[in-house]
Amino acid sequence: MPKEVIHRTASDNKYLHKDFHGALSVGLDYLQRHYGDESVRDYLRQFARSFYAPLTDALGRRGLVALAEHFEKVYADESAQVRISLSDDELRIDVEACPAVMHMREHGYTVAPLFHETTRTVNEAICEGTPFAAELLDFDPATGRGTQRFFRRKP
Amino acid sequence: MISCTEFIPAYSELFKYLEAKGDIEAVDDFWNYLSDEFLGNLRDLVLQHGLRGCWLYWNHTLNEEAADFTMSIDDEAGEFRIDMHYCPSMGRLMSTKHIVPYHDYCRHCDVLYRRVLEPLGFDAVSDRTECHRAKCSFVVRPKK
Repeated sequence: MPKEVIHRTASDNKYLHKDFHGALSVGLDYLQRHYGDESVRDYLRQFARSFYAPLTDALGRRGLVALAEHFEKVYADESAQVRISLSDDELRIDVEACPAVMHMREHGYTVAPLFHETTRTVNEAICEGTPFAAELLDFDPATGRGTQRFFRRKP
Repeated sequence: MISCTEFIPAYSELFKYLEAKGDIEAVDDFWNYLSDEFLGNLRDLVLQHGLRGCWLYWNHTLNEEAADFTMSIDDEAGEFRIDMHYCPSMGRLMSTKHIVPYHDYCRHCDVLYRRVLEPLGFDAVSDRTECHRAKCSFVVRPKK
Protein backbone atom coordinates (compact mmCIF):
# COMPACT_ATOMS: atom_id res chain seq x y z
CA MET A 1 0.00 0.00 0.00
CA PRO A 2 1.40 3.46 -0.87
CA LYS A 3 2.25 5.92 1.85
CA GLU A 4 -0.84 7.57 3.32
CA VAL A 5 -0.90 10.98 4.94
CA ILE A 6 -3.71 12.88 6.61
CA HIS A 7 -3.65 16.37 7.99
CA ARG A 8 -6.27 17.84 10.29
CA THR A 9 -6.63 21.17 12.03
CA ALA A 10 -8.48 21.71 15.29
CA SER A 11 -11.43 23.29 13.49
CA ASP A 12 -12.00 20.16 11.38
CA ASN A 13 -13.55 18.29 14.29
CA LYS A 14 -15.67 18.86 17.39
CA TYR A 15 -13.75 18.31 20.62
CA LEU A 16 -15.68 15.46 22.17
CA HIS A 17 -13.72 12.35 23.10
CA LYS A 18 -16.07 10.41 25.35
CA ASP A 19 -13.50 7.68 26.01
CA PHE A 20 -11.99 10.18 28.44
CA HIS A 21 -14.81 9.25 30.83
CA GLY A 22 -13.38 5.75 30.88
CA ALA A 23 -9.87 7.02 31.61
CA LEU A 24 -11.17 9.11 34.52
CA SER A 25 -13.02 6.09 35.84
CA VAL A 26 -9.81 4.02 35.73
CA GLY A 27 -8.09 6.80 37.67
CA LEU A 28 -10.77 6.83 40.38
CA ASP A 29 -10.70 3.05 40.62
CA TYR A 30 -6.90 3.14 40.96
CA LEU A 31 -7.04 5.74 43.71
CA GLN A 32 -9.63 3.77 45.65
CA ARG A 33 -7.71 0.49 45.38
CA HIS A 34 -4.31 1.96 46.27
CA TYR A 35 -5.11 4.84 48.61
CA GLY A 36 -8.65 4.25 49.90
CA ASP A 37 -12.11 5.75 49.41
CA GLU A 38 -11.31 9.12 50.95
CA SER A 39 -8.47 9.68 48.48
CA VAL A 40 -11.03 9.68 45.65
CA ARG A 41 -12.97 12.45 47.35
CA ASP A 42 -9.77 14.33 48.32
CA TYR A 43 -8.56 14.29 44.73
CA LEU A 44 -11.91 15.39 43.31
CA ARG A 45 -12.12 18.24 45.84
CA GLN A 46 -8.59 19.35 44.93
CA PHE A 47 -9.45 19.28 41.23
CA ALA A 48 -12.79 21.06 41.66
CA ARG A 49 -11.39 23.81 43.89
CA SER A 50 -8.72 24.51 41.31
CA PHE A 51 -10.44 24.03 37.96
CA TYR A 52 -13.91 25.30 38.85
CA ALA A 53 -12.65 28.33 40.82
CA PRO A 54 -14.09 30.75 38.21
CA LEU A 55 -17.45 28.94 38.39
CA THR A 56 -17.45 29.15 42.20
CA ASP A 57 -16.69 32.83 41.88
CA ALA A 58 -19.56 33.29 39.41
CA LEU A 59 -21.89 31.36 41.72
CA GLY A 60 -21.06 33.75 44.53
CA ARG A 61 -21.55 36.82 42.34
CA ARG A 62 -24.46 35.81 40.10
CA GLY A 63 -26.19 33.06 42.05
CA LEU A 64 -27.54 29.76 40.79
CA VAL A 65 -28.04 31.00 37.24
CA ALA A 66 -24.26 30.66 36.79
CA LEU A 67 -24.46 26.98 37.64
CA ALA A 68 -27.54 26.49 35.47
CA GLU A 69 -25.69 27.93 32.46
CA HIS A 70 -22.67 25.75 33.17
CA PHE A 71 -24.65 22.53 33.39
CA GLU A 72 -26.84 23.37 30.40
CA LYS A 73 -23.69 23.59 28.30
CA VAL A 74 -22.04 20.49 29.80
CA TYR A 75 -25.06 18.27 29.21
CA ALA A 76 -25.84 19.77 25.80
CA ASP A 77 -22.26 19.10 24.64
CA GLU A 78 -22.67 15.48 25.61
CA SER A 79 -26.21 15.21 24.15
CA ALA A 80 -27.73 14.23 27.50
CA GLN A 81 -31.41 14.31 28.38
CA VAL A 82 -31.77 16.57 31.41
CA ARG A 83 -34.41 18.71 33.02
CA ILE A 84 -33.09 21.84 34.71
CA SER A 85 -35.36 23.80 37.06
CA LEU A 86 -34.12 27.09 38.45
CA SER A 87 -35.46 29.47 41.06
CA ASP A 88 -33.66 32.11 43.14
CA ASP A 89 -32.94 29.63 45.92
CA GLU A 90 -32.83 26.27 44.21
CA LEU A 91 -31.44 24.61 41.11
CA ARG A 92 -32.53 21.09 40.38
CA ILE A 93 -31.02 18.92 37.64
CA ASP A 94 -32.75 15.69 36.73
CA VAL A 95 -30.49 13.57 34.53
CA GLU A 96 -32.28 10.89 32.57
CA ALA A 97 -29.08 8.95 31.92
CA CYS A 98 -25.55 10.15 32.64
CA PRO A 99 -23.66 10.37 29.32
CA ALA A 100 -20.43 9.33 31.03
CA VAL A 101 -21.90 6.20 32.59
CA MET A 102 -23.80 5.28 29.44
CA HIS A 103 -20.71 5.67 27.26
CA MET A 104 -18.67 3.48 29.60
CA ARG A 105 -21.40 0.83 29.78
CA GLU A 106 -21.78 0.80 25.99
CA HIS A 107 -18.05 0.46 25.37
CA GLY A 108 -17.26 -2.07 28.07
CA TYR A 109 -15.31 0.22 30.39
CA THR A 110 -15.47 -0.44 34.10
CA VAL A 111 -17.49 2.17 35.96
CA ALA A 112 -15.60 2.94 39.16
CA PRO A 113 -17.61 2.18 42.32
CA LEU A 114 -17.16 5.80 43.43
CA PHE A 115 -17.85 7.37 40.04
CA HIS A 116 -20.88 9.20 41.50
CA GLU A 117 -18.38 11.30 43.49
CA THR A 118 -17.57 13.10 40.23
CA THR A 119 -21.00 14.62 40.75
CA ARG A 120 -21.49 14.69 44.54
CA THR A 121 -18.03 15.73 45.74
CA VAL A 122 -17.39 18.03 42.79
CA ASN A 123 -20.72 19.83 43.21
CA GLU A 124 -20.12 20.25 46.94
CA ALA A 125 -16.63 21.64 46.27
CA ILE A 126 -17.95 24.09 43.68
CA CYS A 127 -20.31 25.51 46.33
CA GLU A 128 -17.64 25.97 49.03
CA GLY A 129 -17.37 29.56 50.20
CA THR A 130 -20.67 30.56 48.58
CA PRO A 131 -24.16 30.98 50.08
CA PHE A 132 -25.14 27.72 48.35
CA ALA A 133 -24.82 23.99 49.01
CA ALA A 134 -25.24 20.87 46.89
CA GLU A 135 -26.61 17.40 47.36
CA LEU A 136 -26.95 14.35 45.16
CA LEU A 137 -30.46 13.14 45.86
CA ASP A 138 -30.19 9.86 43.98
CA PHE A 139 -27.90 8.13 41.52
CA ASP A 140 -28.41 4.88 39.66
CA PRO A 141 -24.98 3.27 39.08
CA ALA A 142 -26.32 1.32 36.10
CA THR A 143 -27.32 4.36 34.05
CA GLY A 144 -26.22 7.40 36.00
CA ARG A 145 -29.83 8.53 36.18
CA GLY A 146 -30.09 10.88 39.12
CA THR A 147 -31.05 14.19 40.63
CA GLN A 148 -28.71 16.96 41.73
CA ARG A 149 -29.93 19.78 43.92
CA PHE A 150 -28.24 23.09 44.69
CA PHE A 151 -29.87 25.29 47.29
CA ARG A 152 -29.31 28.38 49.40
CA ARG A 153 -27.90 27.49 52.80
CA LYS A 154 -30.02 28.43 55.78
CA PRO A 155 -28.41 31.19 57.84
CA MET B 1 -20.49 14.98 36.13
CA ILE B 2 -17.14 16.11 34.89
CA SER B 3 -17.56 16.65 31.16
CA CYS B 4 -15.19 14.76 28.87
CA THR B 5 -14.20 18.23 27.62
CA GLU B 6 -12.93 18.93 31.15
CA PHE B 7 -11.08 15.64 31.52
CA ILE B 8 -7.60 16.89 30.66
CA PRO B 9 -7.38 19.32 33.61
CA ALA B 10 -8.75 16.53 35.83
CA TYR B 11 -6.10 14.16 34.49
CA SER B 12 -3.33 16.70 35.07
CA GLU B 13 -4.58 17.26 38.63
CA LEU B 14 -4.60 13.50 39.24
CA PHE B 15 -0.91 13.32 38.35
CA LYS B 16 -0.22 16.15 40.81
CA TYR B 17 -2.26 14.41 43.50
CA LEU B 18 -0.40 11.12 43.01
CA GLU B 19 3.00 12.78 43.08
CA ALA B 20 2.08 14.53 46.33
CA LYS B 21 0.93 11.17 47.77
CA GLY B 22 4.17 9.44 46.88
CA ASP B 23 6.62 10.69 44.30
CA ILE B 24 7.19 10.45 40.57
CA GLU B 25 7.22 6.69 40.95
CA ALA B 26 3.60 6.83 42.15
CA VAL B 27 2.70 8.67 38.93
CA ASP B 28 4.58 6.16 36.78
CA ASP B 29 2.87 3.28 38.58
CA PHE B 30 -0.50 4.78 37.67
CA TRP B 31 0.50 5.36 34.05
CA ASN B 32 1.59 1.73 33.77
CA TYR B 33 -1.73 0.63 35.28
CA LEU B 34 -3.69 2.90 32.95
CA SER B 35 -1.81 1.53 29.94
CA ASP B 36 -2.57 -2.04 30.97
CA GLU B 37 -6.22 -1.39 31.84
CA PHE B 38 -7.29 1.19 29.31
CA LEU B 39 -5.36 0.69 26.08
CA GLY B 40 -6.65 -2.76 25.20
CA ASN B 41 -8.17 -1.30 22.02
CA LEU B 42 -4.74 -0.13 20.78
CA ARG B 43 -3.23 -3.48 21.73
CA ASP B 44 -5.97 -5.39 19.89
CA LEU B 45 -5.70 -3.25 16.76
CA VAL B 46 -1.92 -3.65 16.55
CA LEU B 47 -2.17 -7.40 17.19
CA GLN B 48 -4.71 -7.68 14.39
CA HIS B 49 -3.34 -5.19 11.87
CA GLY B 50 0.31 -4.67 12.79
CA LEU B 51 1.65 -1.15 12.24
CA ARG B 52 -1.62 -0.18 10.55
CA GLY B 53 -3.34 -0.74 13.89
CA CYS B 54 -1.62 2.46 15.04
CA TRP B 55 -3.15 4.32 12.09
CA LEU B 56 -6.62 2.98 12.92
CA TYR B 57 -6.32 3.80 16.62
CA TRP B 58 -5.02 7.36 16.31
CA ASN B 59 -7.23 8.17 13.34
CA HIS B 60 -10.14 7.71 15.75
CA THR B 61 -8.75 9.36 18.88
CA LEU B 62 -6.99 12.37 17.34
CA ASN B 63 -10.07 13.31 15.32
CA GLU B 64 -12.33 13.11 18.38
CA GLU B 65 -9.78 15.19 20.29
CA ALA B 66 -9.86 17.81 17.53
CA ALA B 67 -6.10 17.77 17.28
CA ASP B 68 -4.03 19.76 14.81
CA PHE B 69 -1.82 17.06 13.38
CA THR B 70 -0.29 15.28 10.41
CA MET B 71 -0.32 11.51 10.52
CA SER B 72 1.36 9.19 8.04
CA ILE B 73 1.92 5.51 7.49
CA ASP B 74 4.41 3.96 5.08
CA ASP B 75 3.88 0.21 5.08
CA GLU B 76 6.85 -0.48 2.81
CA ALA B 77 9.28 1.59 4.83
CA GLY B 78 7.68 0.36 8.04
CA GLU B 79 6.96 3.67 9.67
CA PHE B 80 3.96 5.23 11.39
CA ARG B 81 4.35 8.85 12.37
CA ILE B 82 2.36 11.55 14.14
CA ASP B 83 3.47 15.17 13.97
CA MET B 84 1.40 17.01 16.53
CA HIS B 85 1.32 20.65 15.45
CA TYR B 86 -0.83 21.71 18.40
CA CYS B 87 -1.75 19.15 21.04
CA PRO B 88 -5.35 19.70 22.19
CA SER B 89 -4.52 18.45 25.68
CA MET B 90 -1.40 20.47 26.38
CA GLY B 91 -2.97 23.37 24.49
CA ARG B 92 -5.97 23.31 26.83
CA LEU B 93 -3.79 23.17 29.90
CA MET B 94 -1.71 26.10 28.69
CA SER B 95 -4.70 28.21 27.74
CA THR B 96 -6.53 27.63 31.04
CA LYS B 97 -4.73 30.39 32.85
CA HIS B 98 -6.05 29.75 36.34
CA ILE B 99 -4.54 26.24 36.60
CA VAL B 100 -0.97 24.99 36.63
CA PRO B 101 -0.40 21.88 34.50
CA TYR B 102 1.42 18.88 35.99
CA HIS B 103 5.11 19.58 35.42
CA ASP B 104 5.74 16.39 33.43
CA TYR B 105 2.34 16.08 31.80
CA CYS B 106 3.51 15.18 28.29
CA ARG B 107 5.56 12.19 29.40
CA HIS B 108 2.41 10.14 30.02
CA CYS B 109 1.92 9.57 26.27
CA ASP B 110 5.40 8.13 25.94
CA VAL B 111 4.95 5.80 28.93
CA LEU B 112 1.44 4.65 28.05
CA TYR B 113 2.02 3.90 24.39
CA ARG B 114 5.53 2.44 24.58
CA ARG B 115 4.28 -0.01 27.18
CA VAL B 116 1.73 -1.34 24.67
CA LEU B 117 3.84 -1.23 21.52
CA GLU B 118 7.27 -2.49 22.59
CA PRO B 119 6.11 -5.95 23.73
CA LEU B 120 4.34 -6.29 20.36
CA GLY B 121 7.63 -5.87 18.48
CA PHE B 122 7.73 -2.13 17.78
CA ASP B 123 10.03 0.71 18.71
CA ALA B 124 8.12 3.84 19.72
CA VAL B 125 10.03 7.10 19.95
CA SER B 126 8.61 10.43 21.00
CA ASP B 127 10.21 13.85 20.67
CA ARG B 128 8.91 16.09 23.45
CA THR B 129 11.46 18.87 23.12
CA GLU B 130 8.73 21.33 22.06
CA CYS B 131 6.06 20.20 24.53
CA HIS B 132 6.04 23.67 26.06
CA ARG B 133 4.58 24.82 22.71
CA ALA B 134 2.10 21.90 22.63
CA LYS B 135 4.11 20.31 19.80
CA CYS B 136 5.59 16.83 19.66
CA SER B 137 6.15 13.88 17.37
CA PHE B 138 5.74 10.16 17.77
CA VAL B 139 7.24 7.51 15.49
CA VAL B 140 6.57 3.77 15.53
CA ARG B 141 8.68 1.27 13.58
CA PRO B 142 9.01 -2.52 13.71
CA LYS B 143 12.01 -3.54 15.81
CA LYS B 144 14.99 -4.64 13.74
